[in-house]
Amino acid sequence: MDFKDYYSALGVARDAGDDDIRKAYRKLARKYHPDVSKEADADAKMREINEARDVLQDKEKRAAYDQLADHVARGGSPDGGFRQPPPGWDQGYEFHRGPSQGPADHADFSEFFSSIFGNRGGMGGGAQRGPQHRERGEDHHAAIEISLEDALHGAERQLSLRAQEIDEQGRPRLVDRTLDVRIPAGVRPAQYIRLAGQGLPGHGGEAAGDLYLEVRIAPHRLYRIEGNDLYMTLPVTPTEAALGAHVTVPTPAGAQVDVTIPKGARSGMKLRLKERGLPGKTPGHLYLLLEIALPPADTDAARAAYEQLAKAKPSFNPRQHLGA
Amino acid sequence: MRAVTTVIESAPLSVRELARAVGAEDQWVLRLVEVEILHVDTPNEPPERWHFRSADLQRALAARRLERDFGANLDTAALILDLQSELRRLRALMGAHGLA
Repeated sequence: MDFKDYYSALGVARDAGDDDIRKAYRKLARKYHPDVSKEADADAKMREINEARDVLQDKEKRAAYDQLADHVARGGSPDGGFRQPPPGWDQGYEFHRGPSQGPADHADFSEFFSSIFGNRGGMGGGAQRGPQHRERGEDHHAAIEISLEDALHGAERQLSLRAQEIDEQGRPRLVDRTLDVRIPAGVRPAQYIRLAGQGLPGHGGEAAGDLYLEVRIAPHRLYRIEGNDLYMTLPVTPTEAALGAHVTVPTPAGAQVDVTIPKGARSGMKLRLKERGLPGKTPGHLYLLLEIALPPADTDAARAAYEQLAKAKPSFNPRQHLGA
Repeated sequence: MRAVTTVIESAPLSVRELARAVGAEDQWVLRLVEVEILHVDTPNEPPERWHFRSADLQRALAARRLERDFGANLDTAALILDLQSELRRLRALMGAHGLA
């Protein structure tokens, strides 16, 4: 595990004030926001700066991190390798979750972050609360990527999560756990699956929070998802496009259906198979995008056929609209 | 461990549940409805009868992040979320026409 330099992640000096950190974070968050960023590693960068901001904008976490950074600078290995914080490194510091922090923040943070703050109340602050304190556990968030087939037909999946648990002394600690998750048939991308009682543990006998899993669907070799609709490129021959044809296509539900290609079809033409997209209260459609595939002119017969076609349509000029 | 699984669409969230899911107070959710970040099917019913689905949870989480990361007030967050939705709609449209 590498030691993470949160100051260089945000591009600020060690003595940067809160305002400098806020400004640096906002500038980078705009640069790497997934909706606008063209950078290939935008997601990873966004996680990195979120993590750095989380530590450096919290006085207690920052002071403890600085102390640890000093310790590593004095005795750390030359390659920056980092195993675990030394015993007692955080003595005197308490980590509390600020009121403005959302529940999903720490789910994506690094192992380095977890090794420092994860077992010291950084994900809920339970260790600092008295024994009489009663509070329902916080809800937790994660994402699950499934195949289109699993989304359509339902499935059972195992999910490995790093989660918080309360030990015998009442202190929170991180543990790895495995959950068997039932993916209901018909689930759609960006829907949330709720797992009751699988969030953070409650305090004083109160119930645990819930776990929310955001459904993501892995790219499919045939279908592209747009909302409830699916898109598939359907190659057709020039003859099928020109004269019309009946072709068989696979649907995501597993059935094969006959589709009529109209006479004079063009590349890019869209055919709709009603309600053959994602199922649901309002089922999506399956759109077929026609793509004309040219037979290769790799035999005398094929070359002769192309020449014959050119002779049969001497006035055909696909560049007429260009004035050429 | 086998967990009880529910898709939000089949058991929508109450104001309280949505607030908990985003680490906020109930009042904050009511503000989201007021600034039209969230839309409820039955605005004339009392908030105890309101229900929220996955898209609402996604927008509430996004609003929470905008508020925290950029200090955006909820009116500004509402505008940004609407612009994001429009951006995604246009990108999807471009994708559907093979222009993405």
